[in-house]
Amino acid sequence: MSRANELPPGLRDEVQRIQAIARARGLDFLDIVFEMVDASDVNALAAYGGFPVRYPSWRFGMDYERLEKGHKYGLSKIYELVINNDPAYAYLVRTNSDMEQKLVIAHVCGHADFFKHNVWFQPTERKMLDRMADHATRLREFIDRLGQDTVEIFLDRALALDNLVDPFLPLREYMQNRRGEDERSGAVERARRSLDAVMQGGERRSGTPQRERSRAELPTHDVLGFLIERCELEPWQCEIVRIVRDEAYYFLPQRMTKVMNEGWASLWHSRILTGGVLEPSEVVDFADCHSGATATAPGQLNPYKLGIELWRHAQERGLDLFRLRRIHNDASFLDELADEEFAEKSGFFVYGKNSRTGRTEVLERDWKTVKEKLLQQFSWAGMPRIELVDDDHQGRGELALEHHHDGRDLELAAAGETLKTLAQMWRKPVHLFTQEEGSPRHLTSDGKEVRLSEPAPAGAGKETA
Amino acid sequence: MFRIERDRARFREIVRGRLRGDLRKYLSTSELLGRRGEHAVSIPVPQIELPRLRFGENKKGVGQGPGDKGDPVEGEPKEGEGAGAAGEQEGQHLFEVEVELEELARMLGEELELPDIRPRGDRCIDSEGGRYSGLRERGPRSLRHFRRTYRNALRREIASGKLDLSDPRVVPIAEDERFRWRKSQPQPDSSAVIFHVMDVSGSMGREQKDIVRIKAFWIDTWLRSQYKNLEVVYIVHDAVAKIVDQQSFFHLRESGGTKISSAYELVLQLVLDKYRPEDWNIYPFHYSDGDNWSARDTERCVSLLRDELLPRVNQFCYGQVKSAYGSGQFKKDLDAALVGTENLVTASINDREGIADAIREFLGRGR
Repeated sequence: MSRANELPPGLRDEVQRIQAIARARGLDFLDIVFEMVDASDVNALAAYGGFPVRYPSWRFGMDYERLEKGHKYGLSKIYELVINNDPAYAYLVRTNSDMEQKLVIAHVCGHADFFKHNVWFQPTERKMLDRMADHATRLREFIDRLGQDTVEIFLDRALALDNLVDPFLPLREYMQNRRGEDERSGAVERARRSLDAVMQGGERRSGTPQRERSRAELPTHDVLGFLIERCELEPWQCEIVRIVRDEAYYFLPQRMTKVMNEGWASLWHSRILTGGVLEPSEVVDFADCHSGATATAPGQLNPYKLGIELWRHAQERGLDLFRLRRIHNDASFLDELADEEFAEKSGFFVYGKNSRTGRTEVLERDWKTVKEKLLQQFSWAGMPRIELVDDDHQGRGELALEHHHDGRDLELAAAGETLKTLAQMWRKPVHLFTQEEGSPRHLTSDGKEVRLSEPAPAGAGKETA
Repeated sequence: MFRIERDRARFREIVRGRLRGDLRKYLSTSELLGRRGEHAVSIPVPQIELPRLRFGENKKGVGQGPGDKGDPVEGEPKEGEGAGAAGEQEGQHLFEVEVELEELARMLGEELELPDIRPRGDRCIDSEGGRYSGLRERGPRSLRHFRRTYRNALRREIASGKLDLSDPRVVPIAEDERFRWRKSQPQPDSSAVIFHVMDVSGSMGREQKDIVRIKAFWIDTWLRSQYKNLEVVYIVHDAVAKIVDQQSFFHLRESGGTKISSAYELVLQLVLDKYRPEDWNIYPFHYSDGDNWSARDTERCVSLLRDELLPRVNQFCYGQVKSAYGSGQFKKDLDAALVGTENLVTASINDREGIADAIREFLGRGR
């Protein structure tokens, strides 16, 4: 990128030094490109999820506005942004102090190591910077051709569905492909695939190796994938759904490993910086900054804090940290590590709404309950688990979705609106079977209106026509 | 930097669209009062959200910190947002949107179909604010009007038959050149004064005052957009009238009798001493529940209006707010005595819903 983004020589040396130390201590990371950005640009980058270019959407503008306000009133400050890409991109804010820059550099080494080794990141697109720019170009073409309003309306519809994906699908497909790939002539095929990945911009050409099984098979959690194959869409609409799905799957591993990943990076910045990188005069500022990042407001869960505490706990138990960072996601990591001792030490509690007083209060401190809730909170990438169970509901070509209820209700108003969106895309009514306060609920929309009823006890798809 | 500014502009456009749709709602609530800064109003609008399948209210969660069973958890617990990237979590937030006063006034104008105010009489002064809208044959190079210059050159070359269509070259010579010129435009005198006069006698209740202040807010907003220099004078009266600051105007609660003439005399005094009609566009607004002390005083008011005030002001507006105690007689008396007077507007406001119509009454004449 431009010269203005290059690091000053002093900082460049610091990057070299810290990376060397990190490597010596066992981290193994993607190449990292550090860029210098102004404080005013960092909010724009953050609104774009760290990427310099995204497709046009008012939602980024809204996030930007919120970040700007937070920044202006001193409520939030973004220290660190890093993109999972090969090479990884990370930003250093020009106004940060030397100590803060060192902290960020070390922290980013931790993330880049995690991106490279954690199994959930293996299927992710590593040329995402290019891919995002490509998505932006595609969307701009559509806008030029069809007008902003048309494209925006459809994009918003697709985005409303972007959590109807299967967090485990990419890894499953990846493992299957790997097995298949071993049988082929490895290197040539891989080269062809990476060329395809670069060229991929137009409609996916036939002949591109899409070895995954058809996404139209039911039941599936990959609703977006299903729509791409089965929904009657204009080519440009199909492309938008594909783009939204692509980006959703790209960001999923980051949601699934937020605690681990932030904890890992925090553990390493702390190890590296206190291992001789800091000037004596910087130690106090470092401690202040570090504890700020890992502080919790009462009753909240800070992924940085929870993460670093889990890693320290693993260390005390004498576990192999590098192995753990390779094989786990947040849910399985917690399952493995959160024991009674840990829960006790960390002061966890379960909160909930007291239906009599209407206020949120501490409900339980028993560690088993705590752990159960924690696991629930982190399972399925923190999203409600929605499965598409039928594409010919009652023999009328209507979609039926089932919510795997785990004690947490959906926000029914929002769910109704989402269904409406889905029905508009599918152009036939759609159904969602869920629960509210323990009783079954049947939401349905025809794209114009939403109806809520109690279903016949037979449940999804069993009603006779 | 980046294209984010365009995304932000789009977002703001959407928000403004919603605001415009909801303007009627804001016209009858006091939500916007006290949110006005020098140039902008910050308006809380519900955050625009895409619908999503997401967890609802009854979700339990895990937090970290002190507290025993049954202790309230401070704030609304949410997944922590550290110093990391933009959070993913969703929630109902109110969004504060800064809207320039001018723009708000424009929305108001569109919603209520208000005409721009015509300057009173022919009092125009040459104000400094000129624009580069004129053309001259001489001028500095930097102000050369490219298109006009070349058009002249083209015209000349065609007329003199010099233009070779196979090789059309147009070379302007000195007499073709035209230069932009700053034309000073006579602009209407842009100073105005508003007198907000409110009856604060015992019969004016809280609701009545709320209505008055909402109206005052919107009237200010509109007139501010019409005049560069606007002064606002707040006057309250019961049996005597006095000038107060904005804060007291909106919060004072007095009680006692009502002598409306006291207020009209004070306004007249100010008009004669300070806000002379030669220099000021004058807008007195008087709000009351229509209960005056005596018929004698009402007569006095009528003659003050007819002989002294109305000839000097752009428009005199009387808004009568309905109250449980007021008789509403004053409006009837004014209407009867001053029937056909062009620059007197009277309006009754029954409730909050009536505010918008009353504003239109007051400002709809472009005076």
